[in-house]
Amino acid sequence: MKILNLSSRMVALVLAASLATPAWTQNAAPTSYAIKGGKVFTLAGAAIENGTVLIRDGKIAAVGAGIAIPADAQVIDASGLEVYPGMFDPITQMGLNEVSAVSATLDVSELGDYNPELVAATAVNPASAHIPITRANGITEVIAAPGTTGFDLQSGGLIAGQASAFNLAGWTMDEMQINRSVAMVINWPSIQTRSFDFATFSIKEKPYADVKREYDKSVNALGDWMDRARHYAQAKEKGSPALYERDLKLEALVPVVQGRLPVLVVADEARDIRNAVDFCTKQNLRMILGGGAEAWKMKELLKDKKIPVVLAPTNRLPEQIDTPYDKPYTEPSELFTAGIPIAFSSFGTSFSRRLPQYAGTAVAYGLPHDEALKAVMLNAAQIFGLADQLGTLEPGKIANVIVTNGDPLELQTQVRYLFIKGQLTSTDNKHRELYEQYRKRPQPAR
Amino acid sequence: MNRRLRRRSIPVVVLALCAAILIGWACTARGEGGEPRYFAVKGARIVAVSGPAIENGTVVIAKGLIQAVGSNVTIPPEAWVIDGAGLTVYPGLIDAGTNIGLAQDEDGKKPARGAGAAGPEDRPATTPWRVAADELKTDDKRIESWRNAGFTTALTVPEGGIFPGQATVIDLGGERAGDYVVNPRASVPVSFKPVGGFFGFPDSLMGTIAYVRQVLDDTAWYAQAEPIYQANPTKTERVPYERTEYVLNRALQANEIVLLPANNTIQILRAIRLTGEWKIRAVLYGGQQGYEVAAALASSKIPVLVNLKWPERAKDGDPEAEQNLRELRLRDRAPGTPAALAKAGVTFALYSGGLDGPKDIFKSVKRATDAGLTPDAALRAMTLDAADILGLSDRLGSIAPGKIANLVITDGDIFNEKTKVKHVFVDGRWFEIHEEAPPEKPGEKKPGDDDGTGSGQAKGGEGVGR
Amino acid sequence: MKQATFCAAVLLFAACAPLVTGAQNPGTIFIQNATVLTVTHGNIEHGSILIRDGKIAAVGADLQAPEGAAIIDATGQYVMPGIIDCHSHIAVDGSVNEAGPAVSSMANIADVLNPDDIDIYRDLAGGVTTANILHGSANPIGGQTVVIKLRWGKPASELPFQGALPGIKFALGENPKHSNFPTPPGVTPRYPGTRLGVEEVIRQAFIEAREYKKQWDDYNQRKAAGEQNLIPPRRNVQLDPLVEVMEGKRYVHAHCYRADEILMLIRVANEFGFKVRTFQHVLEGYKIADEIAASGAGGSTFSDWWAYKMEAFDAIPYNAALMADRGVIVSVNSDDAQEARQLNQEAAKSMKNGGLSANDALKLITLNPAIQLGIDARAGSIDVGKDADLAIYNRDPLSVYAVVQKTLIDGQVYFDRQRDIAERATLAAEKQTLLDKEKKAAEAKKDEEKSEKKPETKPDKKKKPSQDGGGAFESGVAGGSR
Repeated sequence: MKILNLSSRMVALVLAASLATPAWTQNAAPTSYAIKGGKVFTLAGAAIENGTVLIRDGKIAAVGAGIAIPADAQVIDASGLEVYPGMFDPITQMGLNEVSAVSATLDVSELGDYNPELVAATAVNPASAHIPITRANGITEVIAAPGTTGFDLQSGGLIAGQASAFNLAGWTMDEMQINRSVAMVINWPSIQTRSFDFATFSIKEKPYADVKREYDKSVNALGDWMDRARHYAQAKEKGSPALYERDLKLEALVPVVQGRLPVLVVADEARDIRNAVDFCTKQNLRMILGGGAEAWKMKELLKDKKIPVVLAPTNRLPEQIDTPYDKPYTEPSELFTAGIPIAFSSFGTSFSRRLPQYAGTAVAYGLPHDEALKAVMLNAAQIFGLADQLGTLEPGKIANVIVTNGDPLELQTQVRYLFIKGQLTSTDNKHRELYEQYRKRPQPAR
Repeated sequence: MNRRLRRRSIPVVVLALCAAILIGWACTARGEGGEPRYFAVKGARIVAVSGPAIENGTVVIAKGLIQAVGSNVTIPPEAWVIDGAGLTVYPGLIDAGTNIGLAQDEDGKKPARGAGAAGPEDRPATTPWRVAADELKTDDKRIESWRNAGFTTALTVPEGGIFPGQATVIDLGGERAGDYVVNPRASVPVSFKPVGGFFGFPDSLMGTIAYVRQVLDDTAWYAQAEPIYQANPTKTERVPYERTEYVLNRALQANEIVLLPANNTIQILRAIRLTGEWKIRAVLYGGQQGYEVAAALASSKIPVLVNLKWPERAKDGDPEAEQNLRELRLRDRAPGTPAALAKAGVTFALYSGGLDGPKDIFKSVKRATDAGLTPDAALRAMTLDAADILGLSDRLGSIAPGKIANLVITDGDIFNEKTKVKHVFVDGRWFEIHEEAPPEKPGEKKPGDDDGTGSGQAKGGEGVGR
Repeated sequence: MKQATFCAAVLLFAACAPLVTGAQNPGTIFIQNATVLTVTHGNIEHGSILIRDGKIAAVGADLQAPEGAAIIDATGQYVMPGIIDCHSHIAVDGSVNEAGPAVSSMANIADVLNPDDIDIYRDLAGGVTTANILHGSANPIGGQTVVIKLRWGKPASELPFQGALPGIKFALGENPKHSNFPTPPGVTPRYPGTRLGVEEVIRQAFIEAREYKKQWDDYNQRKAAGEQNLIPPRRNVQLDPLVEVMEGKRYVHAHCYRADEILMLIRVANEFGFKVRTFQHVLEGYKIADEIAASGAGGSTFSDWWAYKMEAFDAIPYNAALMADRGVIVSVNSDDAQEARQLNQEAAKSMKNGGLSANDALKLITLNPAIQLGIDARAGSIDVGKDADLAIYNRDPLSVYAVVQKTLIDGQVYFDRQRDIAERATLAAEKQTLLDKEKKAAEAKKDEEKSEKKPETKPDKKKKPSQDGGGAFESGVAGGSR
């Protein structure tokens, strides 16, 4: 209708103006939006052709076809476009890593092996250049996990700290934070007989017996920490604070041993996974497996113990020479078929934007497309206990929404509109700025 | 001719003469140290290797050489005769690659020589002037234990570095170190292991190969430049002395074989190619994946020293470590390499390559024969072909007149594990071999064992006729 | 009437015979009924490719399979030229860096090609048929490089791309000045430590090379003039390749990031009379695209890597598009065995980042790298006369959902997904057999040792378990590298 068309044009003008503003700005004024005319994938039911999503005060207010649009809503014309929940990258070092080779910019792994009291949210830099770049590619929320590694970092200590979940928009962490502590990160020790000795610049072999001894020590130490945390919990519960010394580390482990905070155990090799599951079972911990490159070898065990897997990037090489060349590509499908909940993650920062590519590759090799979408938008929320707030386009949830010009997993697809915490967010970022700047460089004088 | 002597002095003179003759005879019959120098092994089975086996034959040894061998051989009267009934005589075995007699490198403390080299001009890890013969330690216990098992000859190779030195062919017996040496400068071993360490040259395989290439180029330049200078000293700028070029040039002029490392297929094919590029007389050592490239080796005509330390799963390795298929295949097929090489017509010898002792050597040989190597071919690879590769087949490796008297005499087939070695001759020196006594129970003393040397080792020359 | 029908039947059968009988003449292959992405002259729907003796003999929509040809039925599938990876470190035996000296041009990748590297097979399974195998980036002037075809199963001597000019690797910026890894205590850090010194090393090396060349030219002249008793100059394996660079016989592939260092190298190259063939990574190339285009160098870059080093902080995923816009021949490369498996995906990103057309995106991994490596007469597109290096996908290769079905090199199928899947059971069975055999032998050995009652041999404390598994006179580890 004509009136609507006029107002759409006005909206377009307003939008154009808003998109020109700096990357980290969100529109302050309107808090009510109506995304209409697009195909809406709620992930909580069938897709809605020509659907409408209403956003108000940071939350999704309503979703459906032919919903009435409130008068104060800024209308976003999504005709010919698709509407999805924003993507969720559950293992990153977002905000803790700016330039991986420059240690001054790194706050991922603290010194020492046992740092349960450290929390990622403490040090996430809301002004990181990675944040606008990542959200421009459709990722609206992430978990920053201390002690985890991308392709460009060393992994941290055994108990590396607590992972924090936050939206990729906000002036301060207070504004961004979803949940300060979603999991305790444990880097499971690995038995490595081969190591690279920099002094002689060669590969050194250590006897298995020696390495196994060190490994056992580490695992025993982990167990000791859990035991002490239990004692501490008891003392805290039963005694008065005057009678016990406050121990920040043990205090941090109390929710873990009481099963309220899951452990995100990072392990790739089959034996490590097996031992980690064994440990968590004995210690009565709620385990989430991170990485899981050989999780396919432990399918039955993981299924039996109901352990979800947050996968290392699909696009990686097989672990062993003899492993089928496509095993990393087929693993997500294999695990899904076995009934194990999976979520994709980047395990990185600068490659968080590759999240949809990892999911797409898994679809190429057998994972149903719908499941892949869930595995980048919803499953991580379920795994980390945030499903009441995120992961689907349903009323009451945080309005993290992306509007794309096609299948979000396809490589050519662009994000046209981005909503985080119910605010229209610019997709401008450092990359695009440099692009625009150098595109305009005049021809140099000869 | 006897002279007529005056009657009064005859008895004294005759006595003196007889004594002199006796002593003289004894001296000539024995070596300077009092050992006998003429032997005959009579009525034994003789496996000559250079010819068909002789069932009931005799070998005569005179002054360190084989004087005669056959079924109808005259035994000189001064010879000490060993009854060969029930015994078999083989040529002494040759171990074509060891470091017997050389001091072992302290583990982990090298490579001082290589670290910090800025480039090839610093000649990292290059000491071709180190000759094994000059560093021989004859108290190395392995000399005896190898000899007791029938090895009479070994190529002993200096280690540590890209050009660690020159290898020596030694016989495993003698009084002074020099007695052992058959050919002091038999070959130039080369290693492609990078030595550089951090920021040291070379620290990569390709850098090491490039370095060897440069050294050979420099040596060739020296070979060309030096004579020109010497012929025109007043017209040409003086050619500087560089020890490596000098020594290597001599070695290559003397046609010393260059030992190139090549164990797996890639290394073997690479070594063949480099041999052609560098125009050197090469022998490959390692050779364990020869089963895959026997044809290429045959057409290259490059001999191979095959390492008998067959690849095995690491004993102290991770029991859950993934064994990949290519490793499994290699471990399964490597012992079949000698048979494959023999079939393809490749000249090869076998070497102990770090095995702990002769018992393991024979076990390894058994794995090769189980995998198809004929006992005859196995024996050749440990005798005549080894001698041939080392350029000494005119004097070692078979039982033929004129060859050095290196023999091993057993009570059965040498490759049968129940067979015992009875006698060994090294350069015509006789060693009688006794069985190892069973390990003593503490407190139990056997008659005659005052120093506990129950494992009877024959001392050279003594115990003769026991 | 009956006769006619009979004749027709015979003819029909004869026509069908190739489809039924398959390879009677294995030198002739017919890929039929695919969407053929030629790259040079458009896409052909329901197209076919005739291959004879390893070369593309015909391409079109209306071809017939000759008798005896081996048929590859590619109905519903896509055929593109085999991917050419312009920056690869696979197939190298040992370290890819000779990091000791600042100038390690004496080292040559061609000496250490490893045909058993499993990553060759894995990249083949990702559609790659040719790769530019480079020395690492630890030195301002690194080692010599070689272009190979991924002929899995062939010996090292059969890997190099015949006729491709050899190359040499230069590196600028943080890596050759070793900013990002600390020198261990007790070791003198190697010069250069700044970009200032990186330039000096390169200039100094070429000054020496110029002098070296002059010595040889002089000598050759005097010898030709009949002079006797001349001592030749020494041959210098380090300077020889630099002379070849100046003579245009060896390509320079220069790893670089910052705009200023790229301009530096163009200047240095001019000083010594050579041209840089490709700038590798060249992540700030977009800032000086015109200068790069004017220099004639190609740019071989990442799709979207950034922020892992300071010099990569201004990298943008629009780099390829911007450079291409200004006339630079641009390729997208991997520098990584995994990235090489997904180059089709990486190329596709330039459609999103910079608006490249589908065909231009394909060029980034086919024709353009072929031009950069000087092999475009032989590879990089599906044209008659070129090598039959092809990748067959189940869908448009620029889709994230595309899966390589077959990869051909010189008309031979080197990778076949169905065959790979079918062989897995056989290989697993062989593996189990060998494992069982080893286990039995180990148990038999244990029994044997028990019965022998061998006196315990004290483990030789001096002998550490060596990498190579042996003591005296070891030549190295058997089996493939890595």
